[in-house]
Amino acid sequence: MTKTIRGALLSILASAALVPAAATAQAEIKVGGIFDLTGITSDVGKPYAQGVQDAVAWVNAGGGINGKKVKLIGVDYGYKIPEAVSAYKRMVNDEKVIMINGWGTGDTFAMKDFVAADKIPYFSASFFGGLTDPAKTPYNFFIAPSYSDQIRAWLSWVKADWKDKSRNPKVAFLYGDNPYGKAPVEAGRLFCKENGIDLVDEEVLPPNFQDATSQLLNMKQKGADYAYINVTTTGVSLVLKGAKALGLTTRFGSNPYGFSEQLPLVAKEAAEGVTGVVPHVPFGTDVPGMKKIVDFHKANHPNDTHDAMYVRGWCSALAWSEVLKRADKAGQLNGEGVKKAAETLSNFDMGGLTNNVTITPTDHRSMTKTPIYQVQDGKLVKVAEYDMPRKPEWLGL
Amino acid sequence: MRCGDFRTTYAEDMAIFETRFARWALAAFLAFLLVLPQLAASYWLDILNRIGIAVIAAVGLNILTGFTGQISLGNAAFLATGAYVTAALAGKAGLPFPVVIPLAGLTTALVGMVFGVPSLRLKGLYLAMATLAAHFVIEFTITHWESLTGGVNGISTPAPRLAGFLFDSDRRLFYLIMPLAAALLLFAKNLFRTKVGKAFVAIRDQDISAEVMGVSVYRYKLLSFGVSSFYVGVAGSLLAYQARVISPENFPITVAIDYLGMIIIGGMGSILGSVFGAVFITIMPELLRLMTGALAGTFPALTELFAALKMGFFGLTIVLFLVFEPDGMAARWHTIKNYWKLYPFSY
Repeated sequence: MTKTIRGALLSILASAALVPAAATAQAEIKVGGIFDLTGITSDVGKPYAQGVQDAVAWVNAGGGINGKKVKLIGVDYGYKIPEAVSAYKRMVNDEKVIMINGWGTGDTFAMKDFVAADKIPYFSASFFGGLTDPAKTPYNFFIAPSYSDQIRAWLSWVKADWKDKSRNPKVAFLYGDNPYGKAPVEAGRLFCKENGIDLVDEEVLPPNFQDATSQLLNMKQKGADYAYINVTTTGVSLVLKGAKALGLTTRFGSNPYGFSEQLPLVAKEAAEGVTGVVPHVPFGTDVPGMKKIVDFHKANHPNDTHDAMYVRGWCSALAWSEVLKRADKAGQLNGEGVKKAAETLSNFDMGGLTNNVTITPTDHRSMTKTPIYQVQDGKLVKVAEYDMPRKPEWLGL
Repeated sequence: MRCGDFRTTYAEDMAIFETRFARWALAAFLAFLLVLPQLAASYWLDILNRIGIAVIAAVGLNILTGFTGQISLGNAAFLATGAYVTAALAGKAGLPFPVVIPLAGLTTALVGMVFGVPSLRLKGLYLAMATLAAHFVIEFTITHWESLTGGVNGISTPAPRLAGFLFDSDRRLFYLIMPLAAALLLFAKNLFRTKVGKAFVAIRDQDISAEVMGVSVYRYKLLSFGVSSFYVGVAGSLLAYQARVISPENFPITVAIDYLGMIIIGGMGSILGSVFGAVFITIMPELLRLMTGALAGTFPALTELFAALKMGFFGLTIVLFLVFEPDGMAARWHTIKNYWKLYPFSY
């Protein structure tokens, strides 16, 4: 008697486990999220992922995509390319996502052929110039100026800041030994050559480095006046502190993943005067689009601090939510439809959170203006903005 | 009724499958494996393919470390060699896979033999350091020989093709990887019934006596490195075809440590042990991920702890096996099998 009851209970429990699968088959749009929460770029990856998740929650609270909810399937890949590829395969083959919000340069570039073959629009947090040419990477997008345009903008600031007419400014590049670190270097070299800037030194920073003394001493020997650091915030503060300890007079600049409100907090006095590329405004900046972010933050996690990376995540998600809305209105909620919808964004207003977005079928450079900020008295202050021309020879570089 | 060890011919004594039941069970298992891809989700197929690749490489490492007693930390480097040779031959030269896979294996065998030369003078920890050098040398070569390997950006390999049939999905690749793994496993099992295999074992057990007995330790150590690296090279080649995009990040030193863990947990000096170890180590992170995913609703912090949990669990398993079952899962399997075979006469 007990055996049959046990058997019945077991079969009921087993069938109960199957039920939730059926219940979720409503109108929802599955979007994949490949984030770095535990890897070497997690210091900036975590706030970005939080930004994307919060933006999706905000979009869903406001009615979703024309009534359909967005289901963000987020995965932590620890900045390891093989894990990203496994996550991608799971998302595309098993979860059947319609598009993915990705993260790192190495894995995004490694998967560019997969996303093109599978027709999965891939909005990455990587702004690698090699993802901007639709002839090579038709399904890759990002909501920012490319790393190459960013380094060109910073070098333009260097040229404007350099007051000595007797010689050219001497510049050094300090970058990590990975695709993300090397992303803007080639474009930077070309720009220096064409604009009368002497590139005197290139130093490679090993992954997970704790001390940059030997690279900084090399740089000191070459006498660089300015140096561009291409790692993430933790790495930048290590370099700055090391430079201060060595008494270097080099003026440092950083890419957008090395420069945020966290930098003055971590590097303290060493961060004074450091410039950086800030394509998405710091948290709390007085622009029209910031209100919804601040309100969401107050309502949901008022005790957390947020920074420009968090805003960056919001920008990415807000942009592709708009793209999904357009694709849905056109009745084309599939990979190809989303790609076409993305290419209809023309001077799309992001409410001041970042510059207007323009993506065309022949040019995936979503914006060309790069703001340069400087740390003054521990605060981020905008000092310049440079607009790079859309040169055809720079497409895909 | 038969009880314990009862043979009447030499062939029976040397047989791999001792009973008819064993042969039928294996045949049924292989048939099940052949049908499995049609039933499994592609996530599990990816895991099965990775298990197949890990099995081949683990058997290779076991031949070297478990059977010949030469500790090697160069496994990741040899996997990388096989993978990059494949990417170069298949991607750049466009050769078909029946040519590429053996060539990748042979190249890796040569590389393995070069790095095996220190073994003629070194043993134990010192040999481990020398093979660690192999890892760093090969890793450096891959990262900086950009014209051949693409450097840190990685390189892609086209899908293997057989007369118009493209192995472009995990489901199809399974039918390439599994038969190859089965064939290589059979070869390895047979190897240890031959003179060469027994020479390897003699070197492991007491190399001075082996030399005295007439086993050329010099030649057989190098041969062991060669055969082992051939297996690992073939595994690397299949890895290049399965992952399609490889970069130096696919081959950190932790991969070499994972493989050592596989053969320790599975059982050193046992082919079946290599299989168990490979399956266990490959499946363990996925099971952990499923568990943390299922529990993430109640304990959200678990997703962040996943990487640490994976490492912790791996280390704990190795320690527990070394303490309670030093001969690995294969030994435990044999103990359980013998218990049932001899039940109720367990003497």
